[in-house]
Amino acid sequence: MRSRRRRPFWVEAAAFVALALAAAAISNALAAPERRLRWIGSYWKPGTSPAGKPTPGPATAPSPAVDAPAGAKTFPPHPAKAWVEISGEEVAELYARKTVPFLDARRTSVYRDGHIAGARPFSVWEADVDEKVKAFFAEGTDQSAPIVVYCSGGNCEDSHMLAEKLYLVGFDNVLVYKDGYPDWLQRALPVSKGAEP
Amino acid sequence: MQFVLAAFFVVAGIAKIADPPGFAHEIHNFGILPGIAVNAMALVLPWLEVVTGVALFLGIARRTGARILGILLVVFIVALSVNLARNRPVDCGCFGTSTVQKTDAERLTEMKLVILRDVGLLLLAAQILYATRREERA
Repeated sequence: MRSRRRRPFWVEAAAFVALALAAAAISNALAAPERRLRWIGSYWKPGTSPAGKPTPGPATAPSPAVDAPAGAKTFPPHPAKAWVEISGEEVAELYARKTVPFLDARRTSVYRDGHIAGARPFSVWEADVDEKVKAFFAEGTDQSAPIVVYCSGGNCEDSHMLAEKLYLVGFDNVLVYKDGYPDWLQRALPVSKGAEP
Repeated sequence: MQFVLAAFFVVAGIAKIADPPGFAHEIHNFGILPGIAVNAMALVLPWLEVVTGVALFLGIARRTGARILGILLVVFIVALSVNLARNRPVDCGCFGTSTVQKTDAERLTEMKLVILRDVGLLLLAAQILYATRREERA
C-alpha cells in the first residue's frame, strides 16, 4: 500500500500565513475607521523621526505671545524642536486663554469616555490621523501659535508622536502636556464626555 | 492537549482582532519591531493565531500548527525577556489592550508570569509534536 506523501512544513506554514493575510486584509477593509490600520506604519521612537522637517521654519512671522494676557508666561515657537513638554500649571494657563487648540492623542474610544473639554480627537493609532493633521493644517491654524497635545501621562508617548506629525507638516509650537489627562482630572479642570469636543 | 493550546490562541487572537490599533500600540511599546512593520504585524499576527488555532482544534495539519504556535511562543518569550532585561515595563497585549491601570512594578511582575505561562504553553506544543511524531513519517 502506498503511503500518502506528507507536505513539507514550509508549504503548510505558507498556506496558514496566506490565509491569515487574506483574512486580515478583508477584516481591515471592513473595519470601522477607528479600528482600521494602515498596512505600513509611520511610527518612530519620539525624538528620532527619520524625516527632516519639510518646511524650513514658520510660514508666518513668529508670534511668541499669541493671545497672552499682559504679564502671562509666553510660549515662543521652537522651530528646531518638534515639541516642548509643559507642566499642568502651564497647560491650565493656556486653557484659560480659550484660543489655544487642544488635541487628544489617545484612542477615540478612550476620548469618548472623557477628555479635556474642547479638545479634539486625534488618535495617533488610528488610520485617519494623517488626514486629520492635514485638515487641521488646512484650517489655517497659526503655525507659530501654541497647540497643546496630550495623552495619558506617565510612559504614554502618543502625544509626542502626534507632536512629531504636527511638526512635520509645519507647526512650530507644539506643547506636550507631559502628565496628560490623569493630571487634568486631578486638578478638577473641565472635562467632556462623548464624541464631540 | 491540542485543544487547550488551540483554544488559548483562538481566544487571544479574537481579542486582538477586535482592536488592531490597540494591538499595534502594544507592539510599538515593546520597542523591538521597526515602526514600518508594526501595523502589518498587528493585522496579521492575530489572524495567524486564529487560523492556526482553529486548524489545530480540528486536527488539520497538527504538526505544522503546533510548530507555528511554538515559534510564536518563542518570539513572545524573547520579546518579553528583552524588555525585562531593559527594565522596561510593557503590557503583553496577549488578549488585546488592557484597560486596567497598573504600576510599573505590577507590569514587571506580570511580564514574568506571562513568560512562565508561555513556557508552559511551549511545553504543550512540544508534547503535541512528540505525540504526533509518527505523522511526520507517514
